[in-house]
Amino acid sequence: MTTIVAIRCTDGVVLASDRRASKGGMIGSKVVKKIYEIDSKKAVAIAGQLSDANYLVNLVKAEAKLIEFNRGFPLTVKEVSKLLSNMLYSGMRSYAPYITELLVAGIDETGPKVFEADISGAVTEEMFTSSGSGSPMAYGVLEASYRQDLTVEEGAEIAKRAVKSAMERDPGSGNGIQVYKITERGSEIEENGGVAQ
Amino acid sequence: MIPKGYEGPYLMYAPDGRLVQVEYAAEAAKYGSPVVAVRANGCAVMVARTKEPDPLLDPMEKIHMVDENIGIAGAGFTGDIQLLVDQARVDAQRHRIIFEDPIDVKTLVSQLGQFMYQFTRYGNIRPLGASLIVIGSDRIGRHIYQLDTRGLILSGKALAIGKNSDSAISVLREGYKPDLDLRGAIDLAVKALSEAEDGESPVEVGIATGYSFRKMPLTEAQRLGCR
Repeated sequence: MTTIVAIRCTDGVVLASDRRASKGGMIGSKVVKKIYEIDSKKAVAIAGQLSDANYLVNLVKAEAKLIEFNRGFPLTVKEVSKLLSNMLYSGMRSYAPYITELLVAGIDETGPKVFEADISGAVTEEMFTSSGSGSPMAYGVLEASYRQDLTVEEGAEIAKRAVKSAMERDPGSGNGIQVYKITERGSEIEENGGVAQ
Repeated sequence: MIPKGYEGPYLMYAPDGRLVQVEYAAEAAKYGSPVVAVRANGCAVMVARTKEPDPLLDPMEKIHMVDENIGIAGAGFTGDIQLLVDQARVDAQRHRIIFEDPIDVKTLVSQLGQFMYQFTRYGNIRPLGASLIVIGSDRIGRHIYQLDTRGLILSGKALAIGKNSDSAISVLREGYKPDLDLRGAIDLAVKALSEAEDGESPVEVGIATGYSFRKMPLTEAQRLGCR
């Protein structure tokens, strides 16, 4: 259940999510937070088992902070994705997988970056990506609208449209949209709760 | 004067608060052949004289590659230096396995420092009789570090370890300028090295520029410009 998307733009990255948590056939929550900040220039969008995802994100956040303290400069987006994927991989290999898929996006000195880490620990770098039960619908919008030269503002509109389309047709997604924009100037969260309930 | 009972193999505090065995080990590192490192504009260099060549033996290397971006040269017991280089190489590869990227210099140095420090905390083991110069490049710049027996980590503009390192340091102190280029850094380091140790054997140079570390004979290094 869930729809999350992440888009790499020329001046930053955009993450967007719906706000629904499903409990079997029921809507478990209508105000779930699915995008988490790792530091001021990086964020993770989560899909799947909320508990697993939260656990991994908290652990990576702590690890990232410790590494930054020790070596004196922050992690790259790729390094954050690798930390996550190492845990996902060891989970899968020990027959106790973390039932989650994570989109890692942010800016580092190599520029804006988007990565996807899945349940098996596979990491791929993407220009845009989506996950969750609504992703087939979101991909329809992304494939049709994505361009290499998108700005964050344009990217945010496409991300919103992608999540909105998914919420129209996917029963696992709904209850509003959260958009998270990261540029060199910092990060900004945009609530759009009223859309297509 | 070391109180009786504290000069032995046991690693414990003397009544005046000293760890005598650690001090002895640090002393051993001072007899090793010297290594000098200088950080300059966009690069870092280290120089060391290789052992006097024996016609029957292959020349021994003094500067060791740790990874494509980091090199180490040590002064002290060769076996202890080799142990530290091996450990550094393992640390570097472990970092690559976790992050798919080369290790940064500070992380490597602090892990090595922790490794050396452990030997000062237990009795019945011998603290390592070696000091190291570690230089390398990473995405925040070019760095030089010095590590000693105690696990103490120093970094700066110019460093020297080993025999007569004090006289090398006074040459560095006099000759260091903030606008040194690669050629100037090599010349200053070689001058400081010659002050500490004279000899005819070839000088090895380790150079960190861009994202890489290379080692080469002095003659080759002197032909390079600073990039």
